[in-house]
Amino acid sequence: MIRRRTLIAAAGATALAAPAFAQNFPRKAVQMIVAFPAGGNTDIGARILASIAEKDLGQPITVVNKGGAGGQIGFTEGARARPDGYTVTFINLPSVSTIVLDPERKAAFKMDSFVPVVNQVLDPGVVWVKADSPYKTFGDLLDAAKKAPGKISACTTGILSDDHLAILMVDDAAKVDFRIVHFEGSAQQLTGVMGGHVDCAFDNVGGIVKRVKSGELRALVVTDDQRSKFLPDVPTTKELGFPSVISSSTRGIAVPKGTPADAIKVLETAFLKAINDPEHIRKMDEQGLALRPMVGAEYAKYYADSHAAATKYTEWALKQR
Amino acid sequence: MDSLGYLMSGLGAALSFNNLLFAFAGCVLGTLIGVLPGLGPAAGTAILIPLTFNLDATGAIIMLCAIYYGAMYGGTITSVLINVPGEAASVVTCIDGYQMAKQGRAGSALAIAAIGSFVGGIVATILLVAVAAPLASLALKFGPAEFFALMVAGLCLVVGLAGRNILAALLMTALGLLLSLIGMDPVRGAPRFTFGIEELYDGIGFVPVVMGLFGVGELLLAAEARQSHLIQADLKKWYPSRDEWRRSSGAIGRGTVIGFVLGLIPGVGAIVPTFMAYVLEKRISKNPERFGKGAIEGVASAETANNAYANGSMVPLLALGVPSSPTIAVLMGAFIVNGLTPGPFLFQEKPELVWTVIASFFVGNVLLLILNLPLVGLWARLLKIPFAYLCTGVLIFCIIGAYGLKQSLFDVWVMLGFGVLGYVLRKLDFPIAPAILALILGPMMEKSLRTTLEISGGSFAIFLDRPLALALLAVPLIVLAAIALRPRAFANLRQTDIE
Amino acid sequence: MSRNARRGWLVATATMMAICLFAIWQSLLLSLTDRLGPGPGFFSFWLSLLGMLFAGLLIFDVWRKPVVESDETLFPRGESAFRVLIIIGAVAGAALLMGWLGFELAMLVFIAGLTFALGERRWYAIGLFAIAGSFGVYYVFTRWLDVLLPPGPWAA
Repeated sequence: MIRRRTLIAAAGATALAAPAFAQNFPRKAVQMIVAFPAGGNTDIGARILASIAEKDLGQPITVVNKGGAGGQIGFTEGARARPDGYTVTFINLPSVSTIVLDPERKAAFKMDSFVPVVNQVLDPGVVWVKADSPYKTFGDLLDAAKKAPGKISACTTGILSDDHLAILMVDDAAKVDFRIVHFEGSAQQLTGVMGGHVDCAFDNVGGIVKRVKSGELRALVVTDDQRSKFLPDVPTTKELGFPSVISSSTRGIAVPKGTPADAIKVLETAFLKAINDPEHIRKMDEQGLALRPMVGAEYAKYYADSHAAATKYTEWALKQR
Repeated sequence: MDSLGYLMSGLGAALSFNNLLFAFAGCVLGTLIGVLPGLGPAAGTAILIPLTFNLDATGAIIMLCAIYYGAMYGGTITSVLINVPGEAASVVTCIDGYQMAKQGRAGSALAIAAIGSFVGGIVATILLVAVAAPLASLALKFGPAEFFALMVAGLCLVVGLAGRNILAALLMTALGLLLSLIGMDPVRGAPRFTFGIEELYDGIGFVPVVMGLFGVGELLLAAEARQSHLIQADLKKWYPSRDEWRRSSGAIGRGTVIGFVLGLIPGVGAIVPTFMAYVLEKRISKNPERFGKGAIEGVASAETANNAYANGSMVPLLALGVPSSPTIAVLMGAFIVNGLTPGPFLFQEKPELVWTVIASFFVGNVLLLILNLPLVGLWARLLKIPFAYLCTGVLIFCIIGAYGLKQSLFDVWVMLGFGVLGYVLRKLDFPIAPAILALILGPMMEKSLRTTLEISGGSFAIFLDRPLALALLAVPLIVLAAIALRPRAFANLRQTDIE
Repeated sequence: MSRNARRGWLVATATMMAICLFAIWQSLLLSLTDRLGPGPGFFSFWLSLLGMLFAGLLIFDVWRKPVVESDETLFPRGESAFRVLIIIGAVAGAALLMGWLGFELAMLVFIAGLTFALGERRWYAIGLFAIAGSFGVYYVFTRWLDVLLPPGPWAA
């Protein structure tokens, strides 16, 4: 907490250091493009952030939903926007990466079309089963998968989603072969697993925290290197001996390449402040979404690293087509 | 406290002044959202969520639910008056509802729609109270295999929509299915038949297509006829005649059952039950040729099924925490933000809250009826505006509607293109409804088949293991057999009367 | 059926057949099978084949129908045709203008033009309706309803 406050102070000081531009930007409403439909997980997080950040920005932030094609439509729009700082895009990793890497998608943007500004959420992946499932631990699941290669089914929220890549990571690290079933969204995963049609689900923590707490589902493992504060009793893949299986859905703000550094600085300051705002923290906690604010070089490095990790498994997935 | 006790106390809470106000506001806003273009129920509901941040949880949820089923009704108004479905599910109402309006019976159509929706909603909510939990877990048994079978069975409804020319209907169905395949394919997740046009990556957009085929197409026909007004007939009384009542009552009953049952299955969507109810009504009618020309049973069955579905789809939401459609997903998001986590433990954790919300479904349906019935006469009178204004107005409406969904000018062009197409097809008397049904069912069919095969590892034998799926798959076979064996129907097929 | 209607049906059905043919070609470019069964091109291939079958049967059926001589034309002429075409043209024009000039200006031109073309002659009525329908509607939708419409060139 204290470290965050120092960060804000530093950011604030930097902002003050560029007074001339800061006074001129923004002079009108800023548009935030969310590449997923209204009401979904991504959208809710974006709207909460926007409603709090506009106070510091001094101008309204209009959230525009441009859902479709797994985010491609919204990302394309964001990459093509005028780089004047008035259009920011809420980007999802690894979605941006997988779209760029899939040649059939003919993406109109590349990784460097975006300049990452501030990261908001890092929602780690989680493997869950229904409450009365025979698999009590991740080990049980892997044992079953080893004994019956290609027979134990695992479902995702979409083709080439972070869940899909996570399954491939597990296949690689544990030398198993899951039968992969693709649904569209977490809701379908629920009916699929609860109805007994699929053995387990690869999803993200945010969507299932409440259900784990209420006992509907059992979370077996979190694919991260540290335990989730929302699921403190669930072991991580690192603990269980699979440190290479790290997968999450990360969401943050980016601007098109070529946006002036001064504008980026102003946006960075305002959004960072909003992310650390107690109201924002409270609302995101309620959603079960873990905050991992990152700016500047740290975010840029994460952006690049995430793409590198995604590349290996995306290519593997594409080969399996 | 048992369910009934909770319900009674919930009713008391729902009838409190505040909650009543919220329910009313929700109904008004919902109807407006349904009527206005550019605001689908999902987007409209999402926009209004921040409004509810400042309300208490109960009030917020009551209002959002009221918005949801209010929007279902609002979509009916435009379907009947200008042949433009306000939201996708209202498309079936256009078929007979607009014809009734052309005959001056818009009032009857809207009134019967209001009443049918009311009955459907109330009955569905009663069933919700009675059997939510056990039915919900039963519905979970409905996996991708059963879903696929249901879609195939649904496609056979096409035969019921065929009218006089079965060959043309079959051709349109095939084309509708082909059209529905545009977009990301479920096999590789890559774009298919999009020819590089990004806006097509998600498919061709049901709303612009339907707005064009129905709304714009109708305007072009009316323009050609040089009508001075869109509706030439005199306005009849705004309430249904005794004869119309009699004919509608059965339709309402059947529509309720179909709507509710299908509402239990997550992911079906509102259009399937409305089509099914409509086709069933046509099938069992003694004069099926009246359908498509202003048969009030057509409107009654479709609207009842629509609202019964809307209320019925609350079952998977409340009992399992599974949203049946994108709009309900928005609703669920709103629930969660307001501290209500839908799911099997919802009833245990916060019974007072849940039962108040359920009680407000009853209240909301009543309010909708009270709100909309008196306005029916007013809406009907709108049709008397001179054509130059009405036509331009409707077009503005359609342009905003097509554009507003995804802020895409491409969709406006799609709407125009299908408008011209609809005009041509109507002139030739090609049946359009089968193509619409195919457009909806196509993607769901393909995806569920794909998912089924992913689950079974590529084996079709999975169908043999699942009795429900087999039963549903038997339906099309029975239908086909019936057509082949009934001499009258067969003669119809051979001597297609296209006059 | 009348001669013109028959011609219309034949043309329409032949066009649909051509579309199916195109779809068959496109489907063959995608693979028909996949390791799990039907591939991305599978359904479109068989559907287009079915479509061609239905279209063929339909053409055959229409062909051998007795022709009833009548003056009834399928498509309008004269003023009726003008009205139909003007609506199509107006919407197309509006869509184009909206992309360049934004909603308000495009609608202004669209409304004024179309109401005039459809018979209204009172200039004040046209003007009022046009302004309400363009600027008025824009304001209501973007300010109150949060529906984004294409802004004009003056909004950066």
